[in-house]
Amino acid sequence: MKFSGLRVFTEALRGHKGWKPLWRDPDPQPAYDYVIVGGGGHGLATAYYLATTFRKAKVAVLEKGWLGSGNIGRNTTIIRSNYLLPDNEPFYEFSMKLWEGLEQEFNFNAMVSQRGIVNLIHTDAQRDAYRRRGNAMLLAGADAELLDREQVRVMIPFLNFDNARFPIKGGLLQRRAGTARHDGVAWGYARGADMVGVDLIQNCEVTGFRIENGRVKGLETTRGHIGAGKVGVAVAGSTGRVMAGAGMRLPIESHVLQAFVSEGLKPTIPGVITFGAGHFYVSQSDKGGLVFGGDIDGYNSYAQRGNLPVVEDVAEGGMALMPMIGRARLLRIWGGIMDMSMDGSPIIDRTPVDGLYLNAGWCYGGFKATPASGYAFAHLLATDTPHDTARAYRLDRFQRGYVIDEKGVGAQPNLH
Amino acid sequence: MLIPHPLLGPRDAQEFTYLGDAALLNRPDGMAADAQAAFNDYVYLRDNPAGVHRELWFHEQGDRSWVVVTRNTVTHEILGAELARDVALAAKAGAA
Amino acid sequence: MSDLKPLTALGDASARTVTHGVLTLKENNALALVSLALRRDSPEPTPFGLGLPGPGLWASSGSIAALWTGPGQWLLEAPGRAESDFAAEAAAACPGCSVTEQTDGFAAFEVRSAAGEEPILALMAKLVNLDSARFGPGTATRTGLEHMSVFVIRRAADRLAVIGMRSAAGTLWHALETTAARLAEPRA
Ligand SMILES: Cc1cc2nc3c(=O)[nH]c(=O)nc-3n(C[C@H](O)[C@H](O)[C@H](O)COP(=O)(O)OP(=O)(O)OC[C@H]3O[C@@H](n4cnc5c(N)ncnc54)[C@H](O)[C@@H]3O)c2cc1C
Repeated sequence: MKFSGLRVFTEALRGHKGWKPLWRDPDPQPAYDYVIVGGGGHGLATAYYLATTFRKAKVAVLEKGWLGSGNIGRNTTIIRSNYLLPDNEPFYEFSMKLWEGLEQEFNFNAMVSQRGIVNLIHTDAQRDAYRRRGNAMLLAGADAELLDREQVRVMIPFLNFDNARFPIKGGLLQRRAGTARHDGVAWGYARGADMVGVDLIQNCEVTGFRIENGRVKGLETTRGHIGAGKVGVAVAGSTGRVMAGAGMRLPIESHVLQAFVSEGLKPTIPGVITFGAGHFYVSQSDKGGLVFGGDIDGYNSYAQRGNLPVVEDVAEGGMALMPMIGRARLLRIWGGIMDMSMDGSPIIDRTPVDGLYLNAGWCYGGFKATPASGYAFAHLLATDTPHDTARAYRLDRFQRGYVIDEKGVGAQPNLH
Repeated sequence: MLIPHPLLGPRDAQEFTYLGDAALLNRPDGMAADAQAAFNDYVYLRDNPAGVHRELWFHEQGDRSWVVVTRNTVTHEILGAELARDVALAAKAGAA
Repeated sequence: MSDLKPLTALGDASARTVTHGVLTLKENNALALVSLALRRDSPEPTPFGLGLPGPGLWASSGSIAALWTGPGQWLLEAPGRAESDFAAEAAAACPGCSVTEQTDGFAAFEVRSAAGEEPILALMAKLVNLDSARFGPGTATRTGLEHMSVFVIRRAADRLAVIGMRSAAGTLWHALETTAARLAEPRA
């Protein structure tokens, strides 16, 4: 079933009776060549690229709940490639380029909207840091513009430019950044993978691995044993739990991040805005809700809900940056579990167990990475070599002293 | 969350800052033959359990004690708290 | 010719005071402070005859007072002695202990209620997350107040002291005064 304007038109004439479910709901087969654990954005994208770009057959995705029930359906939908370090920026720019062609590629409306992101500058030191970052972005082929105060004011006049403590002095703008419909991305990849024969198996929790002579042979699941040639794990916040089943301790802690949505309002916020003096960022969804968030709660958690101190902190950040947000009523708050790595950067690598591969450590920033993460993980699974832009994302980089620490805070996951 | 401070009674968790797994109290011997591997484990690797977790909190806006809090990471229920100093001294006495 | 005049922590020539309804706030610019810490195995002193208070407590005797700030640590208060070398006297009174001058690091504000304890509890409820039922007269603690670290002392049922960082004196005063003023507004 291909989506097109004509299709929508004819369905409208026929009372929309011809639409079919976007994917099948198959029972698991006894064995697959490739099994992806985790039906979030990264798992689904991996399966999609394995089956399309890398032409692999006999691929399955095992998801403990429903597709998109994890962070892919809980994030604040920001996509951007404005990283500093040379091990990160080319990867995120690769992801941005995939976003730009994504909807044509998988024939699904993921509502990719390049409405731009402005990282606000409040001090001279911050301007220097953002200028450096902007240059790093340009070197990797991304776009970046340094705005002065008046240029920011023209774009977003309603901010509090003269906050006594944190006056706005400018901003770093990436015009190609923006937002995408988070679960639309999951659905698009799921549908695309299903169409080329990937089995998407829901309500199927992986409870353990069958490992013989240092090689993975299959998975124990709540729907029975499933044999596997290669296994790729992409379970985000559940990484510690799942990989413990293969006897691994990882450079990862699970933490909770909260998100907030207001009632629907008339269009006010043109793109994505991040406060540079506190933990607050905001955009506006196409339905009109202000979508905003702040810092992680800061303690290990698997609870998928946070606590009030962070709610207060986010509200204070919002009030400091754009006082008019105080008039908006909050509709919903929720939390998702982040796989916070020890340097704040991800891992896409083999593990010490043959045939077992890991995709993890995305912290609070893995949504924007979804296309590139899926592509690079599929590349690794299919060819046993890392994708060019993901060479640095090794599991043993900590031991070797090659950490990728954007923020420079050290092995303290709650500070990344 | 309220942390039951061993000396001061229940206190708002917001007064504390969080460090992480209480295993960080057990710093390896930097002179041992396997020090490099031991420090990699110590600095970078975590059990990260879903369930009961012993963890270090610092009462920064309080009496500046390090506290070992036992907490369930799935429910956020706090099961107990001890002064880290007492925990460390007891471990030392046990080892001696 | 330079004309050097001492200023209070709030930058005024003399201690600031303001009354909103039944609450009166007053900058206590004459309070001398020293910190006192026991060294390993040193016995607990009784400076100037004062028995040092236990965890979470404040005690006063004669012209000085003390609050517990941490295991083996206290803050000694000497009202009206900010301009004398109280630290030297305290050091002499606490042999074998670590005594450090703190007067100029902090700013102290005294809150007094003219209507018993209710207004004090109402102010606390707005500003600090402390259980007022467990914070009666004679208790003291460090806590957070609008993100600033402060010592709060319940000197009496109708009296509260807030001691904060001197560099944040203006912000702290603003928080206290704004809250007291709002409490004094007639309920709509
Ligand atoms: C509040 C919030 C805001 C965020 N904002 C942004 C943002 O603005 N921009 C950005 O780039 N990123 C953001 N992120 C981060 C981003 O959402 C994640 O990094 C990314 O979604 C993680 O990859 P995923 O989609 O594969 O994870 P998930 O969707 O969590 O997928 C993992 C899947 O694994 C499944 N699973 C777990 N255990 C098992 C098991 N044993 N067996 C089978 N399946 C299992 C889970 O059910 C889940 O569906 C945000 C996250 C949150 C929570």
